[in-house]
Amino acid sequence: MLLLGIDVGGTHTDAVAIGPDGLEAQVKVATDHDNLLSSIRNSLGEIVRHTDPARIKQLNLSTTLSTNSIVEGNYEDVGVIVSAGPGLDPHSFMTCKDFHVIPGSLDHRGSETKRLDNLSLEEAIVSCRNAGIKVYAAVTKFSPRNPAHEKSIELAIGDNSDFTTLGHQLTGRLNFPRRISTAFYNCAVWRVFNKFADAIADTLDEMGLGQIKVNILKADGGTMPLDLSRKVPVQSIFSGPAASVMGIIALCNITHDSIIYDIGGTTTDIAIFAGGSPLIEQEGIHIGSHPTLVRALKVHSIGIGGDSAISMFNEKVRVGPNRLGPSIAFGGETPTLTDALIWKESCDCGNIERSKTGFTSFAAKNGLEPDELADQAIGYAVDKIHDSTRSLVDEINQQPVYTIHELLENRKIIPRKIYIMGGPAQAMKMDVFRKFRLSTEVPENYDVANAIGAALTRTTTELELFADTERGLMFIPSLGHRENVPRNYKLEDAEKDAMNHLLAHLGEMHVASDGSNAQITSSSSFNMVNGTSTVGRNIRVKCQIKPGVDRTYS
Amino acid sequence: MLKADNSLGIIFFPAFDWAISPTHPEREERLLYTQDQLREEGLFDIEGIREYKPEVACSEDIERVHFCFPEAEAIATRSHCISAGGAIKAAKLVMEGERKRAFALVRPPGHHAMKTVQGSRGFCAINIEAIMCEYIRENYGPKRIAIVDTDCHHGDGTQDVYWHDPDTLFISLHQDGRTLYPGTGFPKESGGPKALGRTVNIPLPPGTSDDGFMMVMEKAVMPILEDFKPDLIINSAGQDNHFTDPITNMNFSAQGYAALNSMLKPDIAVLEGGYAIQGALPYVNLGISLAMAGVDYSHVREPGFNPKALKESEEVMNYIATICEGVKDIYFNPPAKSSEGVVSGNWSVRHRNIFYDTEGFTESQTESLLLCENCRGLLKVETQREGGPMGFGLEIPAAACESCRNQGYSLLEEAQVKSRYRYIQLINRKDKDYLRYGF
Ligand SMILES: [Zn+2]
Ligand SMILES: [Zn+2]
Ligand SMILES: [Zn+2]
Repeated sequence: MLLLGIDVGGTHTDAVAIGPDGLEAQVKVATDHDNLLSSIRNSLGEIVRHTDPARIKQLNLSTTLSTNSIVEGNYEDVGVIVSAGPGLDPHSFMTCKDFHVIPGSLDHRGSETKRLDNLSLEEAIVSCRNAGIKVYAAVTKFSPRNPAHEKSIELAIGDNSDFTTLGHQLTGRLNFPRRISTAFYNCAVWRVFNKFADAIADTLDEMGLGQIKVNILKADGGTMPLDLSRKVPVQSIFSGPAASVMGIIALCNITHDSIIYDIGGTTTDIAIFAGGSPLIEQEGIHIGSHPTLVRALKVHSIGIGGDSAISMFNEKVRVGPNRLGPSIAFGGETPTLTDALIWKESCDCGNIERSKTGFTSFAAKNGLEPDELADQAIGYAVDKIHDSTRSLVDEINQQPVYTIHELLENRKIIPRKIYIMGGPAQAMKMDVFRKFRLSTEVPENYDVANAIGAALTRTTTELELFADTERGLMFIPSLGHRENVPRNYKLEDAEKDAMNHLLAHLGEMHVASDGSNAQITSSSSFNMVNGTSTVGRNIRVKCQIKPGVDRTYS
Repeated sequence: MLKADNSLGIIFFPAFDWAISPTHPEREERLLYTQDQLREEGLFDIEGIREYKPEVACSEDIERVHFCFPEAEAIATRSHCISAGGAIKAAKLVMEGERKRAFALVRPPGHHAMKTVQGSRGFCAINIEAIMCEYIRENYGPKRIAIVDTDCHHGDGTQDVYWHDPDTLFISLHQDGRTLYPGTGFPKESGGPKALGRTVNIPLPPGTSDDGFMMVMEKAVMPILEDFKPDLIINSAGQDNHFTDPITNMNFSAQGYAALNSMLKPDIAVLEGGYAIQGALPYVNLGISLAMAGVDYSHVREPGFNPKALKESEEVMNYIATICEGVKDIYFNPPAKSSEGVVSGNWSVRHRNIFYDTEGFTESQTESLLLCENCRGLLKVETQREGGPMGFGLEIPAAACESCRNQGYSLLEEAQVKSRYRYIQLINRKDKDYLRYGF
């Protein structure tokens, strides 16, 4: 059995094949941004040539397609139809020109406080149709508590649409502005993503790999089956950093509070682990000009990498945040962090002679000994990484809590160990260690850790259950599931139901799970009182398949 | 994306695991829907608005303000310490310039907690605003502070804490005490002998709505504030004036609260009461947060809001106008003598019985202020809970003269020698000397 992992990165596309005894093949090809498919096809071709195709069971793919298409604004027009009711002016969250606000409202318990205005809805749809819109996003405030208005909008759009995203299907978490932008992006990249998915499927067929299971990486450090990803392509944004973090999990046995660095060419990504688990962004990822509800690992990027240029400012040595071409060792003109590491003989790559000559003359021009320049440059980079890490950890430790129990428990993150990966990882290891005085590890195969991470990442999903026993209702927004429950429905019943639905949902995605990775992440039950008597309970349960890898590899 | 005109820190602490009792108005569910509303609106995604974790107030923070008998730990639960700590966090954010303004959206409330506390009154055990204000003075130096209490109930606790303090202006807007707990808060209650006119009570008739409140703001509150020139304005932001509140009879709305806040421009707001947890709190809290941040709140509207039906009659408006004139006069031309206490020797003495409604006992108390020519005077309290032991409290103010300070220490010594008291507490703000004796 072989598990393939492909990570389409900014410069390289990395691919690996992992068997029961470890890495069986690995390739690195240059990424062709105008033709991602060819990069994937090339790397896949290499892998297949070095392995037995019949043994391949699964391909996990991380792609920058949706991310790039959003960042470059290269997507299709979307008709966004929202209904907000009282609160902030919904026009503040206008994502595009075909944005329509329909009168109507629901309150926080999902009760309709104002009917949806059908006339304005019709007008909005006509206007979109006249503008040539073929994909629609329907989002109403508090739809995770009651999707009725979103469903009415969907019904009214009817045949006008090739694809419609309803806000409540994306997640049960609350945040109306983010739900709007998430639904919008999901529609915007839907067509381009689906064409890509078709092409992947065709390619695999051509290569005789039509039977293997294909998963797409998500930013939360999990995967989703290709078929599902066609409906929620927005979930594939920013999956690159997640692949790296998963790689570290696969390669190292992380048990403590830890810091993970992925030092790349232009940036260093910082992730934090609490115990053995990576931290998830509380709300969701930011992309373009809008924050979203796309769940993501908490990864903080800073402008320090191997290719970061060394410069002088007020007689002080600085590194980054700019990249002014490659390192001198690789034909560039301005010395970089990598050149400084080469000077200190921490790093052996590129044209060493050229690097050292260039480095010496830059130092001389600035009245410094080359040793001094290298020390200061590396020191600057490590200080930057150190300071950013400290403020990230402080920020995490500052995150709000809502119960006395949580506050008094006061579980602060205190990193005990550092893991480094990426090109300059080995070269930077000792400098990082000297700064932090924490055990610092660079795993073997750190250069393809991202692809290894992609290959071994398990399928994840999350859901939120909401019950209101006064009304006798239970609702799971992201599954569109709604059922009646008895008045004595309790928190334990809700937890059981949430877990069952989570596992059943995995089953529908043809993912076998024994439930050992399923966990309740939060659950609460509030008595609802009217006057002086308890009229029911307001129950909320969140559960998830823990992000992680199917097996570790070392 | 939206951007706040004023950076705002929100300390949101719903205390989802604390209640007085399962069906008590002050229970776990109280801020649940507010949380839903703030999340769903994406409030914390607005540039300039950030959520913070509360701190936990310690015994010293409490005993700097209150005479606590038997001691702070016996009176304040964890939840109270966090609520006060939330207010302290709000103060730090503003005083250290991290945020222009801050809103402590915390529970339980505190404005019925008086200078001396032996238990819980009106859902309050310790006065979270006062603890915050004295934390500010202790750590950032002397400050002129105005506390504007917009809770529907008279802020009798805050009034009591600052009764003798000329540097704290306490203005309370509330439903007339003849119609609502705690039954106090009349204009003639205007401060102790050394702080006359520094307590301003504005009792309003039941049914007062947005127009009435705004008239009070324009005609009384703002001119008084303009004259007092505070370094800091604090809003005790109780939200039980709302037309849907189950335990009061006023007609204020979310728009009204936001507009009031927008005029008052408080540096710090601290949540007090408000028990219409579904129909009012989510909208009022949103309105206040947006108003403090300087973000458009004109679309915030609670279900069932009908301004015409809520509007007060012309007679009521005229009556309110008369009250405004009256209280302004009391501030600008304070009476020569306090409404409370008799002079005995060079002490002004008040005897009081205070009922602790939440716990159902009465405290009898004798409070005396030394009428000093050179400072605001030494304060002493003798207190006894029904059938309980005697307690003695002594406060030397921060700007005490040498003579008051010395007299304070000799009274302390005398109290110890006489051993009439089971508990003795000294608050010496001048030297930051805080002592407690007893068992
Ligand atoms: Zn009041
Ligand atoms: Zn109140
Ligand atoms: Zn004196």
